[in-house]
Amino acid sequence: MTRRVQITKGILWFISGLAAAVTIVRFTRGLGATTVLSDTTPWGLWVGFDVMGGVALAAGGFVIGAIAHVFKRERYHHAVRPAILTALLGYAAVAVGLLYDLGLPWNIWHPIIFWNPHSPLFEVAWCVMLYLTVLFLEFLPVFLERTRFTKLYRTLLRLQLPLIILGISISTLHQSSLGTLLLIMPFRLHPLWYSPHLPELFFVSAICLGLSMVIFESSVTSWLYERKPNIRMLSGLSRFAAGAMAFYLGFRFIDLAHHHKLGLAFQNTFEARLFWVELATSAIIPLILFLIPKVRKSHTGVFIAASMGVVGFLLNRVDASGLAQVWATGADYFPAWTEFVVSFGIVSFFALIYLFIQEHFPVEKEILDEEAKWQQRQLFVLPRFDRLTRVWLGDQSFASRRVYSLLFVSALILGLTLTPWEPLVEASPVTRARGGKVLRVGYPIGTVEFPHAEHIKRIGEDQCGVCHHLHKPGDLGTPCTECHADLYLETQIFSHVRHIDRLGGNAACARCHTPEKPPAAASAAKCSSCHEKDMMAKNEVVTSFEHTAAPGLRAAAHKLCIRCHREKAKDPELKKPDLFRCATCHRSPVNHGDVILEASLKDQESETLKGEKDPVAIEETPVAPEEPPVTMDHTLATD
Amino acid sequence: MISSPCILNDVTRCIGCEECVAACQKINQLPQEDPPPRMGHSEDGLSATRWTSILRREGGINVRKQCRHCLEPACVSVCPVGALQKTAEGPVIYDKSICMGCRYCMMGCPFGIPHYEWNSLTPSIRKCIMCYEKLKTGEIKEPACVKACPKEATIFGSREEMLAEARRRLDAEPEKYIQHIWGEHEVGGTSVLYISHVDLGFLAWENPEELGSGALPDRTWNALKKVPFEFVGMGAFMTAAWWIIDRRMRLESEPEVENAAEGEVSGKDDERGLQ
Repeated sequence: MTRRVQITKGILWFISGLAAAVTIVRFTRGLGATTVLSDTTPWGLWVGFDVMGGVALAAGGFVIGAIAHVFKRERYHHAVRPAILTALLGYAAVAVGLLYDLGLPWNIWHPIIFWNPHSPLFEVAWCVMLYLTVLFLEFLPVFLERTRFTKLYRTLLRLQLPLIILGISISTLHQSSLGTLLLIMPFRLHPLWYSPHLPELFFVSAICLGLSMVIFESSVTSWLYERKPNIRMLSGLSRFAAGAMAFYLGFRFIDLAHHHKLGLAFQNTFEARLFWVELATSAIIPLILFLIPKVRKSHTGVFIAASMGVVGFLLNRVDASGLAQVWATGADYFPAWTEFVVSFGIVSFFALIYLFIQEHFPVEKEILDEEAKWQQRQLFVLPRFDRLTRVWLGDQSFASRRVYSLLFVSALILGLTLTPWEPLVEASPVTRARGGKVLRVGYPIGTVEFPHAEHIKRIGEDQCGVCHHLHKPGDLGTPCTECHADLYLETQIFSHVRHIDRLGGNAACARCHTPEKPPAAASAAKCSSCHEKDMMAKNEVVTSFEHTAAPGLRAAAHKLCIRCHREKAKDPELKKPDLFRCATCHRSPVNHGDVILEASLKDQESETLKGEKDPVAIEETPVAPEEPPVTMDHTLATD
Repeated sequence: MISSPCILNDVTRCIGCEECVAACQKINQLPQEDPPPRMGHSEDGLSATRWTSILRREGGINVRKQCRHCLEPACVSVCPVGALQKTAEGPVIYDKSICMGCRYCMMGCPFGIPHYEWNSLTPSIRKCIMCYEKLKTGEIKEPACVKACPKEATIFGSREEMLAEARRRLDAEPEKYIQHIWGEHEVGGTSVLYISHVDLGFLAWENPEELGSGALPDRTWNALKKVPFEFVGMGAFMTAAWWIIDRRMRLESEPEVENAAEGEVSGKDDERGLQ
């Protein structure tokens, strides 16, 4: 075991420890405590990365199987076992990831007995189950190779080709069905990703990702175990990958062009930029790199290109299942750190299993032999007992195991202290306010529009009466009807006629109006230039003509009545909890009150066009004496 | 219970009093107190404990939102275990004992209706079930929300009746309404219809040209029905490819085969591959 392996394993154990802590929280506090998933984003990182990405990452198993065994390229036999191992562990990781993500994980086996063949997910579930079995059978010979089960070993070896072909068929189905999964959501998925050919695109991209992953993984293990990379095999694989990527690119662009969506890629939107970043990292740049013979022959070059492919195609899965849906849902989902820890933790844990199997079973024979040699060397080379300090050193592997345990446990404790045990929720109340910042009142609705919240802030929260019950100059208590000459029209409190009378007829025009022609309300002097503040009662707001409009009675009553009704409804002594409900005043259409409202609405509609409306009209509407629709004195009572 | 029960919402009549919401919570024994919303929660007021809500738009427009009980529901078609079911009568109902919590229905619903009990350890999908059980036993004659409406803004009957009533209203006051019945053809037709004086496109996730009027399940089924052929086809193709390549290679290396057993030949190839 080299130093590199030890350090890598230490890191993997540490991440696994963190994930173990989050696991405890996940299964004792639920999804709410460990994710920021919500009703607008029901699928997050765990589906996008662990499931969608995981399945595609493991595609190397069937691709290499096809190349080496079906197409008989003997050169790649060497890569079959690691690829199948990756696939086996990858699918196992997907299953484990699903256990975290499912709301009721103990029902994960339900697709076996409850069937819905119309669901793509049902198809995927069955395929994954079958393929895991097939992969296990494909890989079993590795476990059996140096045991005494020779008969079973030989039988399995003989079955290898049928098993591999079966695996290819099953993989074709579920790799493409993961694309089918998204076909149901044309309203969520951005058109740059949505296509009726999603299944085919997913299948082709899985081949690209699988090949990139095999190259990536082979490079990493060579680096870890300080072994010369098999560059001939890698450059051969990269040629296959280049072919698949070129096909994928062509397919995707032709598909986009065919559906007339290519223009979307050249707009300045988040999705268009995402599309290009994804395509560049997944296919365009790796393809260019793979096409350069020099890069294909250099280990670093192949590694970089393959890594980009892995990242890019994973991004494709994450885009399709999440990022490319934001435009429709408007959800600002960014995974919680606990979600990242679980995702990376599962990967780390299965990477540890991968390394363990590599070191103990004949997956790649050199690693096993190397490992055995190293173990032997340890027995003789390193001292197990330090005579100077009289300390038992133990052997190296034991020592490193102690370090791993320490890292795992400390990460576990760290994770447990950091994890929020309460559900991660926003502490703001439910927003179900009527209207927004701008209040639209009066009838027809929308004629008066002003920042209501700003007014409340300036005048004081309980001072609705300042505007809604105007005390006109000289009046002690203004009846509503004084201003609300019309039930539904907003009203002017400024009386031009009265001013002319008081100020002395035509001679007094210039006292308010400038010589400008024609004289207009907007250019006239402000009320406050003549009127003292106390003359205006408390009415500081009404200082200019722009502010002389008050809401129509309906709006005023709604704002005021509801305030009082709400408070009275809460009063335990009154025992009238229904006071606050709309239906307390708004009754069914047969009710008298509403007949009046609707009748007068219609009258009013026809008369607004004519201009000023006769205030007497209101008196003429048949008010039911026992049940006035909205009582005036009632409104005033809150003043 | 009547066949193909249907709810007609008249947006022009709704005053937004939320009597329907309260009645729904009462009959389904949902807590009146909403749990605190999650980050990125849906803005429509629906939640696991509010199966219907009033969307408020500027200008005093109130639109009631609830499960549409589609004629060809996407949620039912995507549920891998069939926990969501379209009943023979029409309402779409949910069986928790089958559900495994994959939340695909939430992704598949074009109206964002199914909501989840995120803070529960044994979470369920929650959504309107059109008071199915109580309607079936005859305990009630119409859904609780319809009964509670003081303005008859939401009425109940068979789908044919409701479509006829909607058309009658559109014809009676053509200048008042937009001449469109939302839900008549959208996503293959729904059992909750709307007539309105404003456009109601905002009720679905907004991507109208992609949504179309076809049933959503057709889109996945078009791909899924090919599955058996893909399986057999891929298997046959691979077998044929192997057979041809194997035969050609054997013919090419015939002299070698004579000398050595086949297994050893491939073993030698392996070694060559390693070098």
